[in-house]
Amino acid sequence: MYQLNDKQIDFILDDIKRNGVEMEDLQSNLLDHICCIVEQELEENGDFEHFYSSAIKKFYKKDFREIEEETISLLTFKNYYIMKKIMLISGIVSVTFMCLGILFKFLHLPGAGIMIVLGIGLISLLFLPLLFVLKIKERKETKDKVLIGIGTFSAILMCMGVLFKIMFWPFANMMAVSAIVILLLVFLPVYFFTGFRNPETKVNTVVSSLLIISGCGLFFTLVRSPAGSRLVGIQNTRDYINNERILDNEEKLLMMAKQKDAIMDAENETSKQLLNLCEDIKSKIIFFDVGVNTLGEDFESKDLWLGDGRIDKFMNEDQNMHSKIVKLRDLTGKYNSEIAAKFKDKMIPLRSNLNDSYQLRSTEALNGIIQIQMCLLQNQRAAR
Amino acid sequence: MNYSSELIKGTLKTIILKLLKDNKRMYGYEITQRVKELTKDKIQLTEGALYPSLHALEADGILTTETEYIGKRMRKYYSLSPKGKTLSKEKISEFADFMSTMKFLLDIKTDSA
Repeated sequence: MYQLNDKQIDFILDDIKRNGVEMEDLQSNLLDHICCIVEQELEENGDFEHFYSSAIKKFYKKDFREIEEETISLLTFKNYYIMKKIMLISGIVSVTFMCLGILFKFLHLPGAGIMIVLGIGLISLLFLPLLFVLKIKERKETKDKVLIGIGTFSAILMCMGVLFKIMFWPFANMMAVSAIVILLLVFLPVYFFTGFRNPETKVNTVVSSLLIISGCGLFFTLVRSPAGSRLVGIQNTRDYINNERILDNEEKLLMMAKQKDAIMDAENETSKQLLNLCEDIKSKIIFFDVGVNTLGEDFESKDLWLGDGRIDKFMNEDQNMHSKIVKLRDLTGKYNSEIAAKFKDKMIPLRSNLNDSYQLRSTEALNGIIQIQMCLLQNQRAAR
Repeated sequence: MNYSSELIKGTLKTIILKLLKDNKRMYGYEITQRVKELTKDKIQLTEGALYPSLHALEADGILTTETEYIGKRMRKYYSLSPKGKTLSKEKISEFADFMSTMKFLLDIKTDSA
């Protein structure tokens, strides 16, 4: 019986590691096994190195790593059928959620949003990853695996982009656009040229490639062009400026009326406060959106126009701003209760979406505030 | 006569379970030697098949392990968990049933008949 020394044991362990066996558990198992073989089968003064190199060859067909690969695949895919089942179920559930969500959305029923989010979330975070893992198992070549990986990644990215877009979460456009770029510039060329060369898959490849291109094309036709965005922005800003001008004229008319009468009656204090507060909020919103305090007639030449992003982030994060809106609501309520007793049609309308979620664009907020100011001024004029 | 690797692969789990049922605890090399001995060298388990299966059975909770130090190296002993004990019985009876079916299917005449 051969007696192994520590140096030889280290040598064997190093050899196992060098040959790509990384799992420690497996390393020690194999080490013990090889040591047993050497100790049992080698004579006392035999040639260790020679014996070792011939004994080790019986362990594998091509290379040593296959033992580890086999172990990993057994460990990973013991749940192969469960995974397949989960994939199918998650696919069915997510599609059902999505369809119901869209149906509910069109019927304007509650729960639509949560169903759509669940549907998209499930398909991109459970169904697609599982599909990827299962598909990769079926392919042998690394190139195919990488291709499936890229395809799945861009599909997940696209789903998440759409989800983020409808939820008004940040980076939505970036995600969707990078998904399409990856799909068209990386996935498609590789997919097309590998599939096209093989006569068996030629037709299928061409058809799928056409479908991918037309799908991406449809996606892009839904996206507004930068020039279109500019046009819409300018139009909305023009609307706001016009409203501002009407307000200005109303103010002048009121001043003229006051001068004519020469009566300095006690103004409604709430009304005055409200008017000032409105001006203040407007300038803050404009500053947040375009970076200056006021917008004039020349906004177009200065390349400044109001965007169509939601202002909720700004409103909620700026405590000062939030308290101003709260004050606006309180004062409007106070004013309305003073006026309402006398004239119902003189009440100030307050935009319903000027609530805590602030899910509105800056132009919508500005125009809503101008409406409040207009009502106040007209009420003052009518009171004379 | 050496059996084809497909035959061994399909029965390896049953062989491991049966051996551990009879021997309480064994380590990898011991299992290969015992199989060799019992089958008079007809079945020689390869390390490439044995260890992946042992690890998978352990991960499934069918086998439990204890490690012992033999000088500088570690030796891992495998034994059946309670779950493994029931599975071992199931696997053996399943295989017995399979054998009689195969005998019938392939029309194999046994000597005793």
